[in-house]
Parts: sequence; C-alpha cells; structure tokens
Amino acid sequence: MNVIRGFATTFKHLLEEPTTLNYPEQVRPFQERFKGRHHLRRYDNGLEKCIGCALCAAACPADAIWVEAAENTDEERYSPGERYAKTYEINMLRCIFCGYCEDACPTQAIELGHEHRMSFTDRRDAIYTKQMLIDPVPEGGRETPQEVEPGVFTRPIPDMENPL
Amino acid sequence: MAEQKLVTITIDGKAYQVPAGENLVDAARNHADNQIPVFCYHPKMAPVGMCRMCLVEMGTPERDPNTREIVHDEDGNVKVRWMPKLQTACTQTVSDGMYIRTTTDQVADARNNVLEFLLTSHPLDCPVCDKGGECALQDLTMAHGPGKTRMVFSEKMHLDKIVPLGDLIVLDEERCIQCARCIRFQDEIVGDDVLAFHERGRTLRIITKSDPGFDTYFSGNTTDICPVGALTTVDFRFGARPWEMTSVPSIDPWDAAGSNISLDMRLDRDFGGRAMIKRVMPRQNEWVNEIWISDKVRFGHHFTRAEERICAPLLRNNGNLNEVSWTEALDTVAGVLKAANGDIGLIVGSGASNEDLWALRQVVNGLGSERLGAWPVTHTGGELIAQVGVGKGTNLGKLGKGDVVLIVASDIEEEVPIWRLRIKQAHDRGAAVIVANARKTRMDDFASHTFRYEAGKAAHWLADLKKSAPEAAEAVKSAANLIILTGAEGLTLEGHAALMQAAANLLIETGHVGKPNNGLLSTFPGANGVGQYYLGYTPEQSVAMAAKPPKVLLVAQADMLADDPSVAAWLDKVETIISFSMLPDGITAKFAKVVLPIQSFAERDGTFTNGERRVQRFYTAQGPMGWSLPLWQIANRLGEKLGQGKAKLSAAAVMKEIAASVPAFEGMDYRALSKVEKQYPDVGGASDSYYYSGTACKNTGGLGVVIPTAADKGETVKAGEVKLPAVPKAGKGEFVIIPSTRLYNREAQFKLSTVVHPRVMVPFAEINSADAAKLGITSGDVVQISANGGSVRVRANVNGGAPEGSVVLPRHLTDEPVPMAITVGQVSKV
Amino acid sequence: MSLNIIFREKDIPNIREFDVYSKNGGYEALKKALSQTRKQVIDEVKASNLRGRGGAGFPTGVKWSFIPQDNPINYVVVNADESETGTFKDRQIMENNPHQMIEGALICAYAIKAAAVYIYLRGEFWDVAHALDAEIARARKAGLFGPNGKLKDADGNPFKVDIFTHLGAGAYICGEETALLNSIEGKLGQPRVRPPFPANKGGGLYNEPTVVNNVETLANVPWIINNGAEEYKKIGVGSSSGTKIFCLSGHVKNPGNYELPFGVTFRQLLYDYGGGPLNGGEFKAILPSGGSGPILRVTDEVLDTPLTYDDLRKFNSILGSASVIVMDDTVDIVWVASKVTKFFKHESCGKCTPCREGTYWLDKVLDRILAGGGKESDVDLIMSVAKNMQPTTLCAFGEFAANPTIWTINVFPEEFKAWVDGSKKPAEEKAVARPARERVAAAAAPAGD
Repeated sequence: MNVIRGFATTFKHLLEEPTTLNYPEQVRPFQERFKGRHHLRRYDNGLEKCIGCALCAAACPADAIWVEAAENTDEERYSPGERYAKTYEINMLRCIFCGYCEDACPTQAIELGHEHRMSFTDRRDAIYTKQMLIDPVPEGGRETPQEVEPGVFTRPIPDMENPL
Repeated sequence: MAEQKLVTITIDGKAYQVPAGENLVDAARNHADNQIPVFCYHPKMAPVGMCRMCLVEMGTPERDPNTREIVHDEDGNVKVRWMPKLQTACTQTVSDGMYIRTTTDQVADARNNVLEFLLTSHPLDCPVCDKGGECALQDLTMAHGPGKTRMVFSEKMHLDKIVPLGDLIVLDEERCIQCARCIRFQDEIVGDDVLAFHERGRTLRIITKSDPGFDTYFSGNTTDICPVGALTTVDFRFGARPWEMTSVPSIDPWDAAGSNISLDMRLDRDFGGRAMIKRVMPRQNEWVNEIWISDKVRFGHHFTRAEERICAPLLRNNGNLNEVSWTEALDTVAGVLKAANGDIGLIVGSGASNEDLWALRQVVNGLGSERLGAWPVTHTGGELIAQVGVGKGTNLGKLGKGDVVLIVASDIEEEVPIWRLRIKQAHDRGAAVIVANARKTRMDDFASHTFRYEAGKAAHWLADLKKSAPEAAEAVKSAANLIILTGAEGLTLEGHAALMQAAANLLIETGHVGKPNNGLLSTFPGANGVGQYYLGYTPEQSVAMAAKPPKVLLVAQADMLADDPSVAAWLDKVETIISFSMLPDGITAKFAKVVLPIQSFAERDGTFTNGERRVQRFYTAQGPMGWSLPLWQIANRLGEKLGQGKAKLSAAAVMKEIAASVPAFEGMDYRALSKVEKQYPDVGGASDSYYYSGTACKNTGGLGVVIPTAADKGETVKAGEVKLPAVPKAGKGEFVIIPSTRLYNREAQFKLSTVVHPRVMVPFAEINSADAAKLGITSGDVVQISANGGSVRVRANVNGGAPEGSVVLPRHLTDEPVPMAITVGQVSKV
Repeated sequence: MSLNIIFREKDIPNIREFDVYSKNGGYEALKKALSQTRKQVIDEVKASNLRGRGGAGFPTGVKWSFIPQDNPINYVVVNADESETGTFKDRQIMENNPHQMIEGALICAYAIKAAAVYIYLRGEFWDVAHALDAEIARARKAGLFGPNGKLKDADGNPFKVDIFTHLGAGAYICGEETALLNSIEGKLGQPRVRPPFPANKGGGLYNEPTVVNNVETLANVPWIINNGAEEYKKIGVGSSSGTKIFCLSGHVKNPGNYELPFGVTFRQLLYDYGGGPLNGGEFKAILPSGGSGPILRVTDEVLDTPLTYDDLRKFNSILGSASVIVMDDTVDIVWVASKVTKFFKHESCGKCTPCREGTYWLDKVLDRILAGGGKESDVDLIMSVAKNMQPTTLCAFGEFAANPTIWTINVFPEEFKAWVDGSKKPAEEKAVARPARERVAAAAAPAGD
C-alpha cells in the first residue's frame, strides 16, 4: 500500500510542469521592486534628473558612489538648476544594492533597475561611469549639454508637492 | 588679566556666575552650556536683533515697593516679574539678578515661528547648496523648526539666484535671510563699507556699492559667516559637499601674519583621483588672525597643484635641462659643492620653513661656508625684533583706548592685510593709530594722525620724532601700550635698518619693551621672514654675495630675477647655480645647473615663524607633485652624500635638532606647537556651526609658541646708534622710484590662481600731477620707467598717490622686474 | 463747541504768516517759558496731562523728563512723517499754523536743553517743507532763535537753538521714531533695537538723548504754557485732556479734519460733523486709528462711545492718531484686510524676519482667497501667521501689520467664511469693490471743513 502511495507521488510530479528554468535562455519575470543595477534618469526633454548633490554618495553604506559636481549654464545645461554631476561613478563590486541611494535622491534621478547580470574580469570594469548609467535620450528630447532659453530651468527640484 | 567682576544670572531656574558686561548669548553659551540659537548675532560684531531667533523670556526679581527687598513666594523661591514680550538675548548684556527662561512653550513657539517665517521664501536648494550640511538654517530647523511647511510653493518669493558681487563672490538672493552679517562685517570689522541693503520688505537684498564690485581684500570671510548658502566663492562653488572634505590645519604661506588656516581636502578626478585643496578656511587663533583670512590666502592656493610645477630633478646638459633621477641630481650637486672648496653661497627665500632653513644651513656650514643670505633684501633688523619685538602675550585684538600703534613706511593693507584689519579694529576700540609714510596709503583712513616725510627719510623722521611730529611724540610718550610697526616701503636696506633702530630706540626710551602689547613689528615679506633671522640668514649676506659672488650659489625658493633688474648681472658672475624651486623661474630657465623640485607648504609638514615670532605648524595635506621633496629633506640627503650624517626621517626630527641647537627654539617640538587651549569666543565643534556659522573654524592644529624676546626674558636692552642712510637724490630729468607692494600681483606663485586674475591691477605707476604736467602725461598713458638697468612699461596713474619728484611703482605687477628698493630712474611717455 | 487750540486759522485768517502769528500773541509762550526754569516748564506740561498725539499716547511731560539735563547735547525731533493710513492732520497744521508747532518745539528744546530741533517730514511733503523753511527763516530773522537769537533764558544765557527741516524718502516705517532717527542720520530707514531708548544716551539722534514728538503734540504746548495746565485740563474728559484732531475719511458726506475736545462720541463725529453716510448707505465698520489699528463693527454701543484714550479700551481698541476711516455696507471686509495688508507688505522695512516674511505671506494668502482659491484652512492659517508675527517682531510695525488680519477675522468672520466656502466669487467682488475703492481714495484727500 505504501509502495503505491509512494509511486503515486512520483507520478504526480512527473506530470507537473517543472519549476526550474533553462537560465539564461529563459528568465523568470522580476518582481517590480527587484533592485538591480542603477539607472540615471532623464526628463522628457532630455535633461538629466541628477543634480550632482551627492546625497546618494552620502547615504551609501558601502561607499560605492562617487559624485563630482559642476555648474550649469544656460549655454551648456545638463540638468535643471545650477548644479549637475560632472562625474558620476558607481563601483558595482562595492555596491550591495540596498537602494538607499534611490531613497536619498531628491529628484528621483537614480533608480535601481532589473539588470543583474554583471560580471567583470578587471576591477576597473566594475566602475560604472555616468555614460554607462544614464538612460538614452528619450524621443523628442535633446542630448545634454543643451543650449536652453535663459531663466527657464532655474529650480533643481522642479515639482514640489504643496502642503494640504 | 584683571580680575573680572562676576554677576549672577539665572537661566532656566539655575544660577550662574558670569562676567559682568558679557553678551547674554555668549554668557549662556560659555557658562551655562545653553545654546541660544542665533542667525544675525555674531560674537565678533555688534548685535542688531534682526533675525529674532534668539528670543527668550526675561525677568527681574520682584521687589517690595517699600523695603526694596526681593519678594519670595510661599516656597521661598524668588518671585520674578517676567516681561510681557520676549526679548532678544543677543541685544542684552548680562546684569546682576537677570532671570532668563529658554525652555518654555512661549520661547519654543517663538523659535518655531521665526524659523517658519525664514523658510517661507527660502528656496529648497539644500541638495545643491554649498552650505548644505554645515548650514545654520538647516541645523536650527532640525532643532527648533516646524516639520512641515504651510506655505504654498507657488507663492514663494523668487529673486535672482546668481548675482555676482564682484569677481570673487556670488550672491543667491533667494537664499539670503537678510541677517546683514556680511554688511556689518565689511563695515565694522574691515572698514571697507562696500555692501548694503537695497529696497525693503520681502525684496530687501544685498548689493555692492563699490566699483569694482565687492572691492575689499577680505570678501571671502563673508561666505564663512553667512549663516546660509547665500554667499559663495567663485573658487569653491559646487566644489564639494562639506561632509566630503577633510580639514588639514595649515598656515598662510604669504605674509608675516601667519594666519591659521585649514585646507579642506577632497579627492578629485581632475587631479588624478588624489586629495586636492577644495577650499581654504580660516582656523581660529585669537592671537593671530581670530577667524579671518585675507582673500589672497583663501584664493591663492592653486599653485600647490599647478601643472607648471617642476616634478622631477633637472640637470643642464648642453644648455638644456633634462629630467634625471634624484640620485644623479644629488650626486651632481654634491660633486659641485665638494669642488667649490667652501666658496659657496646660499640664498633662501622667505617662504622656506624653519626646518628647510636649518637643514640647508647644515649643508653649507658643513662645507665651511657661513654665507647665508635671506631674500628678498628689503627688510632687516631681525636682531632688534629678537630684542624688543612685541612682547610675549601680545594680541593686537586686545589693543584699545590709551594704546598707540605707530606705522611707519608700510602700506600695511597690501603687505599684511590681517594686521591692517586688526589694527583698524584697535582704532575703533580707541587706540591711537599713527601712520607715517611718504605717500597716502589705505591705513590713513583708519589713522588718528597721519604724517608725511620725504621719500626715503623714514628713519630721519622717526629718530627725530619730537621735532618732526610733536603730536606723535606726545601720543607715544603717554601711550599705555605702544607698538611700532615698520615697513620698508621707499627705503633701502640701510634705510630699513636705520628705521628699525630708531623704532627700537624709541621703544626702549619710552619703556615699551618686554611687555605684552608693546614692542616692535615689521612687515617682513613671506611667511618666514623672521624665522630667517633666527636661523642665521640675513639680507646683508645676500648683498655681500652680490658684491662678491661665490663660486657656487644655492638658491632656494627665491625668485630672485623677478625681484630686481640688477640681479641678473651678478648672477652671471656665479660659476654654478643650484636651484631649489617649485616653479620654473628666471633662474631655472637660464642660470641653474641643477634644478631640484621642492614641495609646497601643502605637501609636507613644517613650521613658520610669523612676524610676531610665533612658531606655528602646518601639516601635510596634499600628496607630492611628481618627484618633488620637501626642501629640508633634499638638504638632508645632500648632507648624507657629503658625509655629514644620516638624513632625518621627518620634519619633526629636524625641529628637535633645531630646538636642541638654536636657543630661541628651546623646548619647541611638534607636540608643543600643536597644543590648543579653549578660546573665546568659543567656536566649539562642527555641531555648533550656527554660532559662527558655516564651518566652525575649530583649531585642532595648534596655537603655536612664541619665541620670547631678550626684553621678555628680563635682559637689559640698550638703544643703539641710528645710522641714517643717504637718500637717493634724483638728478635733472630723473625721478625717485618708490617701489610699493600690491597684495594681488603677478608673482610666479600667485599668478597661478586664475580666479583672482580679474582683481589684479594692470601694471601702473603713481605719478605726481605736477610731474605729469611737465611730462605731458595724463592718467592712463603708457610710460616707460627705467632704473637699476631694467625698464618697464606701465600705465600712469595721476591721482595724488605720489609725492612730487617721485614715482610709486608697484612691484610684481609687470613681467619684467622693477627695483625692490628706493632708487632713481627715468620716466618717459611712450 | 468749536474750540480751536490748534486750527487757529479758522479764527484768524493767514495765521500761517509770521507777522500775523506774532501779532496774535505768537511766541509769547516761548518767552514765558524762557523766563521759567526748565523744570517748571516740564512740570507744567506734565500737569496738563498732554499725551502724545502720534498714536501711542505717552504722556509728553514724562517723556521730556527722561532727558538727562547734564548731557551737553540733546535733540528735539518733530515727527512730521504722518504716514499712517487716513491721517492728514499734521499737514494741515504745518500748512496753516506752522509757527505754533515751531514754538512748541522751541519750548521743548528749551525744556530739555536741546542743541537743535529737526523736523522730519515725509518725502511727499516737499512743498510743505518749502513753505515751512520760509516761515522758519522769517522767525529766525526776527531773532527768536538760531545763531542770532536775541532771547535769553532764565539763567541769562542766549537762546540759540536752531530748527532744520529734513525730508524723508517716503517710507511708512520712518514714522517709527528710531527708524526716523536712522533716516535723519542718513542710514537705511530701519528701526533700532530698544533699549537704549531715544531718550537715553546712545539711543537717540547721533547717539544723544532725543525727544521725538508729533507735530500736533507740540502745537498744543504754547497754549498750555500761555493758559496753564489747569485751563488745559478743563478741556476733554478724564485723563484725556485737551482737544484732538480727528481725521475723518471714508463713506461720510463731509470727510476732513475736526479739532474736537476729547469725549466726543463716534455718533457725534460721524453724523454731526461727518454728515452721515455717503450715498445713503449704512455704516458697517470703523477703523478708529487708521490701517494699523483695530476694526470695529458699527453698533449703537460703539457709536455712543466717547473718544478718549481710555474709553476705547473696552473694545480692546486704541485711539491712536485718531484717523477714523468709516466704511459702509458696500465694502467687502476681506478686501479691506487684503488692501491694508498690501500696504503693510509694501511698507515693511524687511529688517526683522517675522514682519518681512509675515506680511508677504499674509498678502499672498489673502490674494488667493480673493481670487477664489481660498480653503477653510486658509483663514486659520492667516490668523495663525498674524498671531505668530505679533510677539516676535522688532518694532511695533509688525504688530500693526498683523492687526488688520486678526481684527477682520475676529469681527467679521462671516465675510471670510463666504469667500472660502465658495458663496462669494471674485467676479462679484470686482463689481462691489471697484467703486468703493475709488470713493475711499477720493474721500482720503485732505480737505478742511
């Protein structure tokens, strides 16, 4: 009797769909909140959201982020407001993907995406530069630096929520 | 220090004994550890009570109307009559029986409300603001402010965000909280009243009244005391976040004041990922510079990492300098020195540290030479400083009513700006400031008496003070404290020697020696002019070398060719020149056989002796440029090659040797020099930033140790003979050339700070209107001035700045050298 | 009941001219004062109960007695800035009877041993200043004062005090005494922190002890010296002695200046003198002391209140400078609050935080309410902002600036409610407010009766 019961279990599982996947040919969909490698976002007009405030670097528990800022001008504008990130680097070997940088960001410029396949053969390759992190210019937008009309992009944080 | 009267005040129910007359905010902070929040109040300036942040409840004990006895309640507590309205603590001085409450709901509400008001129109710039992280408004909002805004964002006041106030400072009108600290600093402390409020109400904003804008040598200090990020320097704007930087204590490398500074360092991609000076901040030393520095100190740091720096030893072969290894370079130099048979001269500039001076001297002495020349050869009389220099314990910040400061032959604003700022304040406190010069200088504006003497005759004037200036003689006689400050403007080296002797004599005769706040000061050029004397270097030796050039000349950190046109001629006669230099200059270009790259003050440890004989430490902040080494180390290694003993491992070890060998430095070691004590006003730690605001200027690097004078040690000092020098006389068609100093100039080191370039004057010369009329010159004309075998072309400035028959020619403004001492020359219109 | 102590031009035409004034007993009071000791003069003024007419109502004699007599240099400053909304009395005095004020100032100068008298006029009074200068010159030429003064005081010393006029640049805040002193000194017109008070060494003009008195106050002094304190006290009621000039403006038939003894009621002022409501409307609200003071809803109790320093206290109100602005029922009170707040926002000097930021904030929210974007919470918000301003400001301006908001919300809450609950809309407001604004402007123009 026990034998039959045992085989029954085996046969039942034989007929089930397998839970394993043929990774990397097949990839299981990610949870929406999965924290993979970072992206630097842009506004629709192509301006970078990052204002070079380095709060992500300050929040980073692994000291993986390095930001150096410089000043925007209306002739050469990278982001709204006065300041932009001249250098933006994340050392992916150090990064623990905790997402504190995303929390700290006042402009939602840095977001952790779903990309997780990162491997390096050289330590130096683990440092992702701004060029690697930043999103491509969206359709209708322009590449930075942009020449813009004076007095339009004066606020580093364009949209603030009013008190209720 | 006189015994201070104490009064009793009660803060939050606890009684404290505090010195009478102290400001309530200071008293609460210093004695009761009660941090009353402030924005507009600054301990260095008169209170104005504008920001309303320091509101407290104040009261006095109730007294019985008949007996005048203090009334007590049933529990035996004093009954206090509280004022109906809150009072600003900053505008109160403590008085006996004062009652203060700082923790009641009323006070907490007031603080909360004032902060809410301040934040209504303050932009949400914290992420991009240079002050974010060390901002008084941030700190106090966290401590006392509302957590939420009630202001609709679209209703905020918008003003201009980038308003340049002059070439160095940028104003963000939106961030400004109208505390007027900057305006008051310029007005009260500096005396350059160049800022003001414009408009009123919510559109009240800061403007500059001067042309060029913000025309002062102290503008950077306003960015330090600004409680928000409204004022930023062009140099630092967006350079780094405050928490990313490490402060390294250092010393101002430019002038005799020896201002204490911090070098704020951060790694930087543009500098190869190495630590780089991001900004220079003042470091509190109430004896030296309080919490102020001049803009030259703040913005002149770029030479430390300039691309122009010499990064490897260079050896001349077939007329060309080629990079070689240290071994080869040192071997070559050792060979040259050995072959010289003791006919060796050494000239060291005034920017070399005590350790450098000592180590180089060992090398030269070890080879049997005693020819130690100091450069430049403008100021002398170090031995008089050693005898009757300002007494130990001198603090220019304590001079006041009854005291006299006598300034002779110095344009002190251009030579040592911090002294000028502190003497100006002494004048405000009631000290009599007497200024004597051959021409009008800026210090005249802050003088009680001004005197003019014939160009070159400063010593004549001072030696015969009773006749030449009876009022000055009278003031000096009745002075409670007397400081005589000499410069060398319009003087030959002998002229300055005579002036120093005359000044020393006057001090000795009137008994103003060997006491704090009394004695002699001189505006020795460079950071270590006084140290040169103590370590055996004199300008007279340099002059002697010019007369009889040695076979081998070592030139260390002295851009000699830029200092006088006559130098090239005698350098030509020297067989071999070895240069120790940071930057390429005339000597490295044409004369040097070997060029050894040295490190700047930022790259190494060391000490400078400032004009007040205070030996102060500076620390290593930046990594070395290329293969450069500290000057003392090069000397030590050279000594090793020459068989003079093993090289020392650290600057501290060199200092130990100095302390053991040179009596003046007895007992000084790096530990003693880095001692700090509590200073008032108390800067506290970084968390107390709101008090001074911005960076706390905290001193962790040491206050330094003062070398006592002979008079301090109780030795008898005797007046000496004043050898009045001959004064250059202009013949027919000639002019007396008076070289003057400009703070902002085109010296090799300073030239590399491009941010200051807009503030450097076009080369000019002051010409008297009578002379100008004769020559047909008007302001703005180009004139050629020839003297000492050189000639320069400059713009004429006919503005009452020069006495008749003479031309005031600022040094280091032109690419070609101009004379460094008074001389005669020709002037012609081009 | 017409007693013209100050508006003597009504009895004697052309008294503004020096000759006419001197022929009619002019400068007799000065001579009489000079024959007395300084203490006697001060005591006489003290005894008369004369109180400052500029708004604060501080006893004048007491103010004078604060000045240290042993100080070598004291000053008298006449506050002719007259910038309170709805006040236009000083101008009339200076235009029509200037010598009486000058004489009063000179008596004060003698009493406090002043070195000089400065008359500070607002910038818009340039024409008044010209006329005043001419009259001062005439009196000076006659040897009454100045470097060639021929009069001698009780000690036999010549009386050489001189008088100067000084024009401001037209800022409300310069009516505040310490801001006024700054302005005379050539500094920015911003109030100073007190203490030290102007009467103290270090607090007054050029740091010397200074008496700052209103034009009307000083114009009362010659009469007191001539007729004695006892006579003066017979006029008026209680501690409010003498006459007061009421500046009546707004929706009344006969706006203008009325010199009346203290104790007259609102009803008398508005109906008997003012001629009742303009255009037959109903009186709705009174601003008894200009824009800076409280606002009162017109009721029988209010109308029957005697106008004295003390009686108005029962409504928590003040008499102030007695610039009475009356509004009829066509006026929207929220609009009034906004209008007056705009004035204060414009005039805030910006020195202290609560006033600089608070007036701006109040104005913004009131604007929003009037544009139809108000929420119920906005009324609480402005009330709270106004109340937060009052205890924290540097000078009284901040308290005044918060008053219109606090009072209008307290007295006319229903009008605010109508705006924020949407029952009142901007378009409707415009139709009501426009004509009212024009009428108020017309009525505010100075005119005698």
